[in-house]
Amino acid sequence: MKAIIDTINILLPIFYFVTFGFYFYDFMKGGKKFVNSKRLFLFLTLLVHFCYLLFRTIYFDHPPITNVFEIFTILAFAISFSYFILELLTDIRGTGPFIIIISIFFQIISSFFIQDVFQVKEVLRNHLLGIHVFSALVGYSAFAISSVYGLLYLILYKQIKLNKFGLIFDRLPSLEVLERLSFISAVIGFFLTSIAITIGIIWLPKAFPKFSYADPKLIGTFLVWLLYGFGILSKVFGKWQGKKIVIFSIVGFLIAILSTIMSNFLALSFHSFY
Amino acid sequence: MNIIAISINHKTAPVEIREAVHLTDDEIRNLTQKIKNELLNEGLIITTCNRTEVYGIPLQQNISHQDIEKSLLNFKLVSGLNSEHFQYFTASSAIKHLFSLATGIDSLLIGDNQIFKQVKDSFQTAEELNFTGFLMKRIFDSAVKAGRRAITETAISEGAVTVSYAAVQLIEKIFSNLNKKSALVIGAGETGEIAAKHLRERGIGNLTITNRTFERAQNLAADLSAAILPFEKFKESLYKFDIVLSATSSEGLILTKADVAAAMKKRNYNSLVLMDIAIPRDIDPESKNIDYVFYNDIDSLNIIVQQNLSKRIEEIPKVEKIIEEELNSFLSWFNSLEVTPAIKSLRDYFETIRIEEVEKNKNRFSAEDQEKLDIITKRIINKILHQPTVELKKFAESGINSDEAAEKISIIKELFGLNKKDEKEK
Repeated sequence: MKAIIDTINILLPIFYFVTFGFYFYDFMKGGKKFVNSKRLFLFLTLLVHFCYLLFRTIYFDHPPITNVFEIFTILAFAISFSYFILELLTDIRGTGPFIIIISIFFQIISSFFIQDVFQVKEVLRNHLLGIHVFSALVGYSAFAISSVYGLLYLILYKQIKLNKFGLIFDRLPSLEVLERLSFISAVIGFFLTSIAITIGIIWLPKAFPKFSYADPKLIGTFLVWLLYGFGILSKVFGKWQGKKIVIFSIVGFLIAILSTIMSNFLALSFHSFY
Repeated sequence: MNIIAISINHKTAPVEIREAVHLTDDEIRNLTQKIKNELLNEGLIITTCNRTEVYGIPLQQNISHQDIEKSLLNFKLVSGLNSEHFQYFTASSAIKHLFSLATGIDSLLIGDNQIFKQVKDSFQTAEELNFTGFLMKRIFDSAVKAGRRAITETAISEGAVTVSYAAVQLIEKIFSNLNKKSALVIGAGETGEIAAKHLRERGIGNLTITNRTFERAQNLAADLSAAILPFEKFKESLYKFDIVLSATSSEGLILTKADVAAAMKKRNYNSLVLMDIAIPRDIDPESKNIDYVFYNDIDSLNIIVQQNLSKRIEEIPKVEKIIEEELNSFLSWFNSLEVTPAIKSLRDYFETIRIEEVEKNKNRFSAEDQEKLDIITKRIINKILHQPTVELKKFAESGINSDEAAEKISIIKELFGLNKKDEKEK
């Protein structure tokens, strides 16, 4: 099984790159040459990636969440998986290159630096922790996708305002659609982080003797969750829309990243495992 | 192939001549009856705002383009119209021209797929008047196939190439679903009417018309099932609309930045699209500096039009390739009509000689050998004719010019005296 894991580890960046190639070609050419095959290839890539994560879990006897590079491969998977679901739900297929490129970035780093870790803290073998981390990562991936759509919204908004009718104008969906995609992604992200937080609140105090509600990672995540919750409610009740809501999504994601970096690398937390 | 065609189009005649030559539906029917009896065996008349064309198979060999032209001139009596305004096409060039027409590459607006529908309608009229025979039907089928392929296999008809369509294209880059949007069209003149129709076609949720002359607004509103707003009051209601399309002949601005700003405040800064397609402009261009206001005038819409036209021009070589393929396919079918009887005549000719010679000499052979003689001579004839048969079939399949194919066939017929034989049989 080790040989299979190592082979897939090398192949995954190639798979993501080819998938990106299909999406990028269609975006640039504006044709429909790969309209179905690109989705199929994305599905295959995700399937291979899922098997890789499963094999790692079985072979190393712990979910792949024990170090940064394992987290990166899950992030690569989660981002493309979230995009895949969004594409299936909305049938908007033109924005793939902007999302899949993020997966390529995380997967390349992971493939280069990932190590075989057999000895891990006992708590990291817990399956509830696996669900907690996985839902948090997919949730954050959805926030990332939301901010990408937000960014695309701002670019298209600017282009239309300046009467620049180039490739972006031709290929991207309408501003309303981009705003909706950004919002749906934010809602999915909010829902999944809610699950992660709920599991955390119930299970973490039991699992960690040093558990503290004042933990910086907990506070950071909770603040991000509150921020998105506030943004979603503002949109739902009709107060916020357009540029305002997408900027909020981008800022929310930047705060989420900043909070993760600060709590992981700068502050001492019971949440740090590596 | 003896198909001929004449054409007056935007390349050959000014608009006033094209307008004058344009045929109404009744005129097409009358002209068809006239030329059907006097000049053409079967044919097709196509008339649009930019062209009038007549295609047909002459009743006699000596009937020329000039005869059809004369017939049209006598029918329409247009002053200033002369031979210089006509283009003539013969045989495969006539078919190629029809294919170019159906695919939209010969249109004033390249890739205009209205012409595809007009060609189909013209053929339907010709069919109703029993003006189409098996050849015209086949030509029409091939033209339709070429037209369809151009639309599906290339981007020749993609993108807006008129200002009013470009306005709609731009609106669709801002709003995803026009069903839920309200539009106000200011001005019920020709431009306003076209824009309003486009919006209606794209499924706009609510359409309202306002115009200085209330009756004109009423007429247009009735045509498009739209609401009417008195011109004096439209500014008060501006905030209710997501799209405002202005096309009046007003000399000054009818909407200032302050008007737009006030409306935006009232609509809680929901996106507002302002399309100013009037000359001089109706809406203050400074309005574009207000957040969520998407202001466009003729110049900015023309950028879209020019870009789309350039893209369509880039597609022309692909369409020409399709035309070439369809023309070859048609010609190989047509050539096979001539080649198959030629092969048969050639084989019959050799078979007759063989039978005659076998009959003459069979008594020199024993009864057993007579049967062998028959088989051997048949085999010899088949071997001799194998190569010419294959070559003749190749002419047909290669889709070379039908005149060239006819010439080669006539050489073979002449060499073996097949023409005389055919005439005798007739």
